[in-house]
Amino acid sequence: MLALPLMLASCIKDEPLGTECDILSAWVEGEAYAPIFYQSTQMRKDGIASNEHEIVFTVRSLISLPREVPVCFALTEGATISPANGSLQDFTQGPVEYTVTSQDGQWQRHYSIEFREAAMPTYKFSFENVEEREGINGCFFNVFYEIDSQGTRHDIWASGNEGVTLVHQDMQPADFPTHSIADGYRGKGICLNTQYAGDLGKLFNKPIAAGNLYMGKFNVNNVLFDPLRTTEFGTPIDRVPVRVTGYYKYKPGSDFTNASMDVVPGRTDQAHIYAVFYRNQDADGKNVVLYGDDVLSSQLIVRKAEVASLPPTDEWTRFEMFFEGGEADPAVLGELGYNLTVVFSSSKDGAAFEGAIGSTLYVDEVEVQFENEDE
Amino acid sequence: MKKTFLTLVIIYMTAMLPCNSKAGNLSDSLQMRARVGYNVGGTAPIGIPATIRSIDAFRLTPSFMAGVDLMLPLSSRWGVAAGVRFENKAMDADVTTKGYRMELVKGDSKIEGLFTGHVQQEVTQWMLTIPLEATFAFNRKFSLKAGPYVSILTNSKFSGIASGGYLRQGDPTGAKIIIGEKEGEWATYDFSDEMRHVQYGVSAGADWQAFRQIGISAELHWGLTGILHSDFKTVEQTLYPIYGTISIFYRIK
Repeated sequence: MLALPLMLASCIKDEPLGTECDILSAWVEGEAYAPIFYQSTQMRKDGIASNEHEIVFTVRSLISLPREVPVCFALTEGATISPANGSLQDFTQGPVEYTVTSQDGQWQRHYSIEFREAAMPTYKFSFENVEEREGINGCFFNVFYEIDSQGTRHDIWASGNEGVTLVHQDMQPADFPTHSIADGYRGKGICLNTQYAGDLGKLFNKPIAAGNLYMGKFNVNNVLFDPLRTTEFGTPIDRVPVRVTGYYKYKPGSDFTNASMDVVPGRTDQAHIYAVFYRNQDADGKNVVLYGDDVLSSQLIVRKAEVASLPPTDEWTRFEMFFEGGEADPAVLGELGYNLTVVFSSSKDGAAFEGAIGSTLYVDEVEVQFENEDE
Repeated sequence: MKKTFLTLVIIYMTAMLPCNSKAGNLSDSLQMRARVGYNVGGTAPIGIPATIRSIDAFRLTPSFMAGVDLMLPLSSRWGVAAGVRFENKAMDADVTTKGYRMELVKGDSKIEGLFTGHVQQEVTQWMLTIPLEATFAFNRKFSLKAGPYVSILTNSKFSGIASGGYLRQGDPTGAKIIIGEKEGEWATYDFSDEMRHVQYGVSAGADWQAFRQIGISAELHWGLTGILHSDFKTVEQTLYPIYGTISIFYRIK
């Protein structure tokens, strides 16, 4: 009878074939292709999040891009990719679609690999470009993007909306912490509001979700384990920012609560608007992205800007913030060695899961100004 | 259904009481034994699914049993026995999974998907069990018994911790959510509300009357009903309670 557990253990079946089919890393193979990039580290994309479907390589110029470039992939164990791993493909006509198939042949994921020029001609954000994306659990949420003067789409904006779909069901875009509004300062605008993160969020001591929108990516992998590591701040920039302006409205929620959802008497929630310009490589030459836990404190920050105070107001009110800090190295700038992020949040300490449910920040017509740029 | 069942149980228990006035001869030949014992086993699918990669730990639980049964000899060797037992069929086991379907639920929130990592599964099933057995005595000391049983659960829990791995939401192409190793970073689940309240099964065992009044007994209880409601689909495999019991009995009569 004591042998029963052993009997059960002896019934362990052979390991099933893999069902996952992710691209884990992607890189352009061959030093010969290095000149099409600003620097060779940009030939490689590691740590690709499970919620990513588009992988973008930033190149100096699309015009000088060779017609055939070999892109290699590291995949989930046993998975296969089509077109073939490392095969020569033409990326000059836009993204190339790849399909990854799991080891057991039952599951597939589709990816688009794109080569794109670095930055946009201007950084004026009117938040007119918004799409409704279908998430899981019957949720639909807003995704903001930019279109440059050549009609190229740039998915520079990210939010925590995708994380919210994990803990809620059947939500419409306007129910999410980050969504579009029809009546912005001019045309459409963005609305960010702090919400209860569901009972599951509370279970993990992450009871609230602040509405946020930032330049960067959302990495869903860490949503329960380490939410501060979901916010990958920053996209490559070829200019040095000096000032950010825009318009806002703000109303703090009534009860400020801490991470245990206890009301903190006397504390009022605050909105947070800031921008960070940082070196995107460390001393060892490794690519770096800043997260929620170091975006305002990292040694790699060159300069940052923060709106000192955003008093509650129900009228559209102008804000302005200047970058303070050091100077950029022109050589590094020429290698696209800096990232820029601009961040809007409805609760300043939302990253620590402190804030007031109901705090609402509206933002519109944001513009980043750069050095050597005419006003 | 439940009510009908309880009524049957009460009738049955009443019938079991020694009733000298009605049938003296029958009562005289009845044997009565009180038992205390310990259950060892687990709730497991018949044929462990390939998504369970290893069983890493199997901890002892307070799976105690106490009860009384009556045996009526029908011939020199054959007899029938019936009883009532209060017992716990618990389990506390660690397993390693690969793509095992599970659901994390808390209040209004849920995340469902395929988990790869470590699972600590705890099951508690306090129940009232009524066995009905045929007995066969080889001699005065040693007898075998087998028959069906029914159990009514009084207090049950099916919960666990998923840690040190990741959950693919929905299917293998869904968001890969990392689950940590420590409290606060790991995920818990609780399907206690999905547990059946009545279980059936078959048992077989042997009694050995070692001394004049005291003996030892070994039995195997093989559940024929899953411990979770059959319409609950998150746990894909039906989990059957399969337990062995070692007990000491005292012959009252």
